[in-house]
Amino acid sequence: MADNFEPLIVTFCCNWCSYAGADNAGVGRRQMPPNFRIIRTMCSARIDPEFILRAFAKGADGVMVLGCHPADCHYIGGNYRARRRIALIRLVLEQYGFDPRRLKLEWVSASEGEKFQTTVVNFVDVIKALGPTPVKSKKAKDMSDNTTVKAAIKEE
Amino acid sequence: MGFFDFFKKKKKAKADEPKAAPAKEQPKAAAKAEAAAAPAPAAGKTGFTPYPAADLGELLPPAPAGGKIKIAIYWTAGCGGCDVSILDTNERVLTIAQFADIVMWPVATDGKEKDIEALDDGAITVSLINGAIRNSENEHMAKLLRKKSVLVVAYGTCAMFGGSPALANLVPGGASEILDYVYTKTPSSAAFQERYHKDAAVVPKTVIEVPEGTLTLPVVYDTVKTLDQVIDVDYYIPGCPPQQESISHLLKAVVDFVYNGVALPPKGAEIGVTEKCLCDECPRTKEYARITKIYEPYQVNVDPEKCLMDQGILCLGPATVGGCNAKCTKVGQPCRGCYGPTRLVQEHGASALTAIASLFPVLDDDPTCDEDQIIEIMKTVKDPLGYFYAYTLGKSLIKRTVVEEN
Repeated sequence: MADNFEPLIVTFCCNWCSYAGADNAGVGRRQMPPNFRIIRTMCSARIDPEFILRAFAKGADGVMVLGCHPADCHYIGGNYRARRRIALIRLVLEQYGFDPRRLKLEWVSASEGEKFQTTVVNFVDVIKALGPTPVKSKKAKDMSDNTTVKAAIKEE
Repeated sequence: MGFFDFFKKKKKAKADEPKAAPAKEQPKAAAKAEAAAAPAPAAGKTGFTPYPAADLGELLPPAPAGGKIKIAIYWTAGCGGCDVSILDTNERVLTIAQFADIVMWPVATDGKEKDIEALDDGAITVSLINGAIRNSENEHMAKLLRKKSVLVVAYGTCAMFGGSPALANLVPGGASEILDYVYTKTPSSAAFQERYHKDAAVVPKTVIEVPEGTLTLPVVYDTVKTLDQVIDVDYYIPGCPPQQESISHLLKAVVDFVYNGVALPPKGAEIGVTEKCLCDECPRTKEYARITKIYEPYQVNVDPEKCLMDQGILCLGPATVGGCNAKCTKVGQPCRGCYGPTRLVQEHGASALTAIASLFPVLDDDPTCDEDQIIEIMKTVKDPLGYFYAYTLGKSLIKRTVVEEN
């Protein structure tokens, strides 16, 4: 794996806990790798699995979904729904051939700036070990454009 | 058709329209166009709201002055069910023959590729193409028909979303792995190769030299494509196969256009679907029960009144667009999603997954249990990718399997 690989990570944060937690980490001046981009949603249950698939389809190396701790959801049961969807989409991603570790679900509350930091640091390490997303590899592109088989026609 | 496609397609101006249409009575025609553009029944959750067939009226007058229009019907990678479904129009098929010449229909008429090649560009008014693009011959014919036709309709789920053929995209090795499996690994092929070609397995070649010249076969593609990933498509008709109602709406649009000069539906329109999901048309009553175990319809006595989801049968109705009059759920079979997503959704499978994941109840120990436990619960859904994307993998965001490099 190339040493200079810098992963691109899409992070979904719920408005009430994790986004405030990320803010807390920032205010606390905690050092974090700059590989992640935060998208704020009102609740972790707002994160349609389509968002996650779209992130992977567009070449994200990893996706993090952060929400309120169980029993702590601003909307009472949103994170219970979210964790079931994430579990199911993880099975789908596995069937697609992705390493399931590319999708991370973690609970970060508004006061847990430190947990936000460790989650991000660990996840970046995991993705760096996994390498770039297989969606953007040359083989995947050749397969989806049928380049190899079409070349066989031209040789005739 | 996804949310973003909808806006894209609207922006594109419709470039060409058939010239053979005698236009008369424009104001009346415009009113009719509105009626034709919005054939959906009045919405409302009042139990069963059927999607009616379009009325073609009494026998049509003789063919217009410009002569009969030309229709081509072609199958690419499909099962042939779509071709047969055109015959579901019963006596309306005579109406087709009244105003149109069928220049190509491999299952029923004698038109050949060379006949189509001999036509002028734009000579065919409507081409109905059913089936996904599986090999080079499919792509060649789709492009040829696109060149020769004014309107191209993606007819049926395979042409529109990839359908079952697109599930082959889940084979990591692509075409070579599929061909190898089919010709050397399946029990019957393995026995054949073992018996007759013990030294070297004989598999079909795409090119072979014989004394009379060179023979070629189409090349199988690694990734199955939908029709609109290969050519420009004007209209879409979903369904596996499309219902008679959809076909009659398409025919009515074409007949109205040819005889009355009524404008055609906007480009990119889906014909034969409603705005809402299947549950809106389904006559079953929902009690919002939670499920912990999933059944196949043969494992339980299916209650004829209650929602199938409440009975633990996975149904893709909440994610699938209506228009089929809930034919499957009415007889106790779950919806498998052949009509694809509603207009504002791109990812049909993810939409169904969201609905079904929420059916699992919140447990008493949910605040304390960890993610592995939840994964164990969700593993009750066997083969989620195959189930949720049974018909729409070709049009999904991640169109095929990927291979992690390390």
